[in-house]
Amino acid sequence: MPLVGVDEGTGGLVRAARAGDREAFGLLVERSWQRLVRLARSVVGELEAEDAVQDGLVAAWARLGTLADPDRFDAWLSRIVFRRRLRAHRRQRGRVSLEAVPEAPVSCDPAASVNAWKLLSRLAPRQRAVLHLTVVEGMTDAEIAPLLAITPASVRAHRRRARESAARLLQGGKS
Amino acid sequence: MKDPDVNDELSRFEAELRAWGARPARTSASVARTQVTARLPLVCEPIPWLRLAASAALVVVLAVATWLGAPRASREGKASVHGESPPPIDPNVVVWVMDTRTTVYFVLGPDGSTKGGMS
Repeated sequence: MPLVGVDEGTGGLVRAARAGDREAFGLLVERSWQRLVRLARSVVGELEAEDAVQDGLVAAWARLGTLADPDRFDAWLSRIVFRRRLRAHRRQRGRVSLEAVPEAPVSCDPAASVNAWKLLSRLAPRQRAVLHLTVVEGMTDAEIAPLLAITPASVRAHRRRARESAARLLQGGKS
Repeated sequence: MKDPDVNDELSRFEAELRAWGARPARTSASVARTQVTARLPLVCEPIPWLRLAASAALVVVLAVATWLGAPRASREGKASVHGESPPPIDPNVVVWVMDTRTTVYFVLGPDGSTKGGMS
């Protein structure tokens, strides 16, 4: 449905959504959906990703009034989705997950049908997010930092630790 | 991570991650839009609630201030009405009221001398 009298840039849509325009918010959802699902999939896995993003989007609608700069909607939305999953992850820590990862070392042999998620899920959630945004989305540290509400230096530190952990897991798989 | 084998493994893992992570979502963006907008609650904007709360707080503050201030004002009113009616003054007396508790009288004598006192 076309939006009448609404600036269809992100800032304009956010302002319209704040005023209660659900269609404007729907357009924002449509634009962000694929990117958010890709991020969520790397953080929480395939099964939960889409539900996680939908929950985050509904929460974002209720909190639109707290967004200081409408032009930074994308980063704000990513933070909401990521933080909600981080809190959920902390609550669930210690419980058995449907996607529980085997304790056996991970092999990266292509013949063994390597599952990237198996290795990724052994990392801390923030490391998964940094690795995803770097490797999959090709983003710079300066672009990643506001999405995760950390500094570029922290982004580098998380990525370094993620690669070290991944290397250890891969080496374990060889022995 | 100087071991070339490990670097190869990492590169292969990141290539797999790129392929796995870049797949599109199972639900299309347009379907997701419909699903999400159907779940949106009818939220009230926070600003009217804040205004309402601020107005209520202001009314309460004014009511309390009025309640606390009223007895003192009425006491002062009574004092001015009943306590301090000016005495009849002789034409030779100068009265200087310094404050509500201190009044200075100057009495002018017929020979030009002055007597004075404080009450």
